[in-house]
Amino acid sequence: MICRITDSAIDMEELTDSIDSPELGGLCTFVGKVRNHSAGQGVTHLEYHAYPEMAEKKMRQVAEEIEERFGVTHLAMAHRVGTLAIGDIAVGIAAASAHRDAAFKACRYAIDRIKQILPIWKKEFGEDGVAWVEGCAVDAETAEPPKAQNFRV
Amino acid sequence: MIVRVKCFAWAREVTGEEEIDLEVPEGATVADLRESLAERFPVFSGRMESIAVSVNQEFAGEGTPVEVGDELGLIPPISGGCA
Repeated sequence: MICRITDSAIDMEELTDSIDSPELGGLCTFVGKVRNHSAGQGVTHLEYHAYPEMAEKKMRQVAEEIEERFGVTHLAMAHRVGTLAIGDIAVGIAAASAHRDAAFKACRYAIDRIKQILPIWKKEFGEDGVAWVEGCAVDAETAEPPKAQNFRV
Repeated sequence: MIVRVKCFAWAREVTGEEEIDLEVPEGATVADLRESLAERFPVFSGRMESIAVSVNQEFAGEGTPVEVGDELGLIPPISGGCA
């Protein structure tokens, strides 16, 4: 299983190859790319900054949550940091399972949770200047693995 | 006691440092750490509720103890943080 914060280009084929196995019938990927606009303004490029040790730890937490929720263990996730150009891959996810439903769910859960709890920050460079893109403050309680009784598969 | 705190993103720009040393009382918690931070860098006090604190690479609640040698971090809102 790959859980990786990297300053190199993300290779989706490497991610999918790393989880391939004969018992798998469904493989789902998500590719998060750098787009050329944000909130109505043009974007020229981005910088991603991370707390890399904690981000990889939280990525492994996401993988554990996915195994518990969906029984999916064939999972590869990579998030890039550094300066990225329009069209570059910022985040890549591959999830596979015997049947497609769990693979789709695992992939969706992975990207949502990555954006929620990984300490990674995006700085946008655009027509209007430079800005940190800030979502909501991280809430310590909801950043922990959800309690078993809250699981909705 | 003096604890060392990692600063990221906006917090790093405010402090101008990747890591800062903060004086906190013996037996301090995350709440005490915030108090010391706001004294030293008043600009934090205006948006303290948006800054999460990590203790040994876990998001920590206000009552979490902090000790010398702990890996502490200031975590501004992350880019994808809204559900």
